[in-house]
Amino acid sequence: MKNWLRTICSSLLLVPLLVAAETQPTGLQDEVQNLKKQVLELNRDLFLLEEELLFPSNTQVSVFVSMDVGEFFQLDSVTVQIDGKEVANYLYTQQEIDALVRGGVQRIHIGNLRNGEHELVAFFTGKGPHGRDYRRGATTVITKGLGPKYVELKIVDQTNNHQPEFDVKEW
Amino acid sequence: MRRALQILLLAIPLAAAGTVIAAAKQPQQVRDLHYGEVLFHFYQRDYFTAITHLMAAQEQELLRHHHTEANLLLGGLQLSYGLLDEADRHFSTLLTPDSDPELYGRVSYYLTRISHQRGFHDKAFSTLQKIGKSDDKAMQAEVAVLGANIRMALGQNKEAADSLEVVKAPEGWEEYLRINRGIALLRAGEIEKGRAVLDNLGTARSDSDEMKALRDRANLGLGYELLRAGDPEKAREFLNRVRLRGPFMQAALLGAGWADAELGNYENALTPWLTLIQLASFDPPVQEAHLAVPYALTKLGDQQRAIYYYDHAIRYYDSEEAELAHAISSVESGALLSMLGQIDTGDSGGWLRSNSTLEEVPAGRYLIDVLSGHDFQEELKNYRDLGFLQNVLDDWLENTEIYYDMVDARRQAYAQRAPLVRQRLLEADAETLGSRWHQLQVRLQEQTTRGDPLGLASSSEKQQWEKLDSVQARLRALPAEPRFRDMLDRATWLRGILYWQIQSDYRARLWGARKQLDTLKQAVDEAASRQQRLAGQLETARAGFDGYDARINALRERIRKLLPQIQTARNSSSNRIQRLARQELESRNQRLVSYRNQARYALARAYDQLAGNPEARP
Repeated sequence: MKNWLRTICSSLLLVPLLVAAETQPTGLQDEVQNLKKQVLELNRDLFLLEEELLFPSNTQVSVFVSMDVGEFFQLDSVTVQIDGKEVANYLYTQQEIDALVRGGVQRIHIGNLRNGEHELVAFFTGKGPHGRDYRRGATTVITKGLGPKYVELKIVDQTNNHQPEFDVKEW
Repeated sequence: MRRALQILLLAIPLAAAGTVIAAAKQPQQVRDLHYGEVLFHFYQRDYFTAITHLMAAQEQELLRHHHTEANLLLGGLQLSYGLLDEADRHFSTLLTPDSDPELYGRVSYYLTRISHQRGFHDKAFSTLQKIGKSDDKAMQAEVAVLGANIRMALGQNKEAADSLEVVKAPEGWEEYLRINRGIALLRAGEIEKGRAVLDNLGTARSDSDEMKALRDRANLGLGYELLRAGDPEKAREFLNRVRLRGPFMQAALLGAGWADAELGNYENALTPWLTLIQLASFDPPVQEAHLAVPYALTKLGDQQRAIYYYDHAIRYYDSEEAELAHAISSVESGALLSMLGQIDTGDSGGWLRSNSTLEEVPAGRYLIDVLSGHDFQEELKNYRDLGFLQNVLDDWLENTEIYYDMVDARRQAYAQRAPLVRQRLLEADAETLGSRWHQLQVRLQEQTTRGDPLGLASSSEKQQWEKLDSVQARLRALPAEPRFRDMLDRATWLRGILYWQIQSDYRARLWGARKQLDTLKQAVDEAASRQQRLAGQLETARAGFDGYDARINALRERIRKLLPQIQTARNSSSNRIQRLARQELESRNQRLVSYRNQARYALARAYDQLAGNPEARP
């Protein structure tokens, strides 16, 4: 019985409180690290190949969503239509909204378009000022040229009228 | 730059790991969309995707405005994802003591912390020296505790205690510093000082559960330390301070009983021990209390009740042993790993992430200590991370199969369309267009030299001019009558008017012709260039298809090479997880067997004593 007392004492007193107990380094951890590194590099190369094959730069169009502050608008979902056809309809989690508010930018759509002009319509759904249901649309005509086309859908707080504003920016 | 670094300071792995330092709430100003996309994944702690996208964007040179931040962020992401060596190398090339001191310090802090967690205490001690003094007091305290733990791991207990003494703790940190200092002092052999520090902490008032638990822990630790040192009276005093609703209640009750027993007060010892055995628990203090209760009754001379409780204890241990045998067979049959696989959420993981609940794991109630142990948790993270990598590569292997078909479809489309395109190219020969433009230019030059306004007449004007010529010729051929002469005069007059109109507009017409020719030149050049490109692409397209095939082949080969390595590593990891679990269960089993043997032996002795003392018989 005394032995058990000693076990309790050592486990209570000798283990540092904030940093977990020490572990012996194992070869496996180094191996895992090495495998992770190799898979990441491979994943990058595969990702680039996929993009090249599925969305060649001459026809590629990407639509991004960003948010500035987000005090006057609590985003629920975004729908994107190009030339009248729905290409994205995304419902956001709280974690994703937090990421957007902190400066993250979401690529909501990647696809292919011919050169020339195309109509892009985006619908933003959520809660507006005073918690009211809010649905707004933004329409623009984008011009697809030779290189990849990037379009940013921006949700911006307008402090002068305490309303959200929805901008479309071509990059 | 400074501002970007400040944001980054808060953003790098602190979001995943910091207990004090909150993740950045201030929005990052994004000037490259792809950098923002990396942040989007990073803020959701999806490190695998964030690193992949960041490396891909760097490869495509899409991060021109965030070049430096992207490099720093990559180091932070690598650190969060458990690529310690890679992050270390990365930061070593990016950061020097001359860099932003706070960023340098914070990066060094994380390198230190992870080195320590992995057991590289010498390396951790080396990077600890690079951290420097932060303006953030909470960070100072966190660094001090980390430093003390590293020193204790290296056996420098006195230095650990001294280092904690000089730190001014911000609110919420004082207790942590004190308990760690108390531990360091006890380990350094400065028992009285250590006891004084823990005693002081044990009486501190606190409203938060976290601090109350810390206080309980200090009191419990000190109580057992005093029991070991042979001072049960004082030990009881500290054990009495432990809350009966806290996480250390069972150990405190057991210790309190032992303190009373050491003082010879077995009647009092029974109170906490009887409380313990009424708990529906299989934790070690309860197991031991099942043996301690009849032991105290024997000491009190109550053999009948002692026999009853020994008997009760043996049944309790038998039932528990059966449960343990079931748990051990579950672990050996792989049910533990299967359950761990089921609760795997499929996220990309990383060393700074915590594992999700293990409540559903078979034999989980026996494995609480081992499951919550750092060694097991690290192994579990490895197991899950490897599983994630395996899934990623399996998916790619499947997808890339389709890429062959895509490339084949394009190759066929090329074979069908290329002859048609070639034919059209021949028809709309850019060289012919170029020579025609050149002829036009020569004509315009001749026109400029000649200066004849009629050369720039429009087609309708030319028709009118020719018509008037013809009219004049016909009128001249008619008899010389006055009416014909009048008509000839009128035609001559009209011809003069027409010539005057063309001549007066000549400069503008000449300028317009030059302008049209210049515009035409651009169009002809563009057509020629496009035609040249198209012809070039037609020639290289076939080689391009073959190039894609080669790329897909090479990537699939890399996948095939990595998958067995991952499987082998995962098998090693699962073996280690099973071994750790089995070790824990077997050690519990051994303890249980030992308790039961002691109970049986004591029961036999109690029967013998009862047989030798007929008055005590029922």
